[in-house]
Amino acid sequence: MVGTSVLRSVAAFAARLSPLKSGNTAANLLTRAIPRTDKVVVRWGHGKRLFVIKPSDYYDRRFLRLLQFYILLTGVPVAIVVTGVNIFIGEAELAEIPEGYEPEHWEYYKHPITRWITRNIYDSPVKDYEKMMAAIQIEKEKADMRLTQLEVRRHMRQQGDGPWFQVPTLNKELIDNSPKSSPDH
Amino acid sequence: MPADYDKGAYPEPPRQTPVVDKQTALPNPALILSKLFYYSVDLPVTTFRDAVDSIRAKNKIVYYHQKFRRVPDLTECKEGDYPCYYEAEMQWRRDYKVDQEIVKVIQERLRACQQREGHSYQQNCAKEIQQFNEVTKNFQSRCKY
Repeated sequence: MVGTSVLRSVAAFAARLSPLKSGNTAANLLTRAIPRTDKVVVRWGHGKRLFVIKPSDYYDRRFLRLLQFYILLTGVPVAIVVTGVNIFIGEAELAEIPEGYEPEHWEYYKHPITRWITRNIYDSPVKDYEKMMAAIQIEKEKADMRLTQLEVRRHMRQQGDGPWFQVPTLNKELIDNSPKSSPDH
Repeated sequence: MPADYDKGAYPEPPRQTPVVDKQTALPNPALILSKLFYYSVDLPVTTFRDAVDSIRAKNKIVYYHQKFRRVPDLTECKEGDYPCYYEAEMQWRRDYKVDQEIVKVIQERLRACQQREGHSYQQNCAKEIQQFNEVTKNFQSRCKY
């Protein structure tokens, strides 16, 4: 037993001296890990190595990651489309209206995306104008009708010869006129 | 390239570049800097613009300024004729916007003139100043709410 420990210590010494020779790696040196003084990994060249204890930033990083993802999900296609439109189609140039030509309502705008929106999504300004004028006309007619109704009410209440403000009374024929036919009954 | 500005309204001041009279063998730093600027900024930007323009040249589109018909004014509308009121109101608003833009252009001209002339602007820009006063007086008298 003493001999084996002596053997082991001699083997360890030999390994320490020449570490690169085969058979001298730590794993197979007589079941005891020998500290390798030459191959220690040096990560911290300067400064003290600290084990920093701080609260978890997993949730914050997860939030920022998800935020970035969901913003870029639609942001990147929109950016590509807008860049493509600006490079390949480009803005319109101002020109004089040719003789006898009535431009469409979208041809009055500069940027191609605005033109597309006014062409496909919005109503033409002429239609909007007409819609507004129609609404005004309807409201005007409503107001006029209300005023005439008030006028008619006033007349019918005053003169009483119209169908309104008729209070139902008893039938005249039900009155028994026989006591009135002779003066001193 | 986009259309150039109106050279009549914004005249270029006379060039004052002196004749090059180099008396030293040392390099001219202004020349060096201008060449540096040209090669690092001007040339890349111009080539990029030309490249994009050549791509855009295939799909050229135009836009126009809309011309509106004149409609009867508010003073020419019968009383209670609300559609007429609406049309007159819309026409007045369009005219107001146009007048605002006109005033802005005149202001811009006066500003450019002052910048050009420097300290002697009061006598050299008399035309622009008179134009500006006239236009603003008319605008205030016509379009004051």
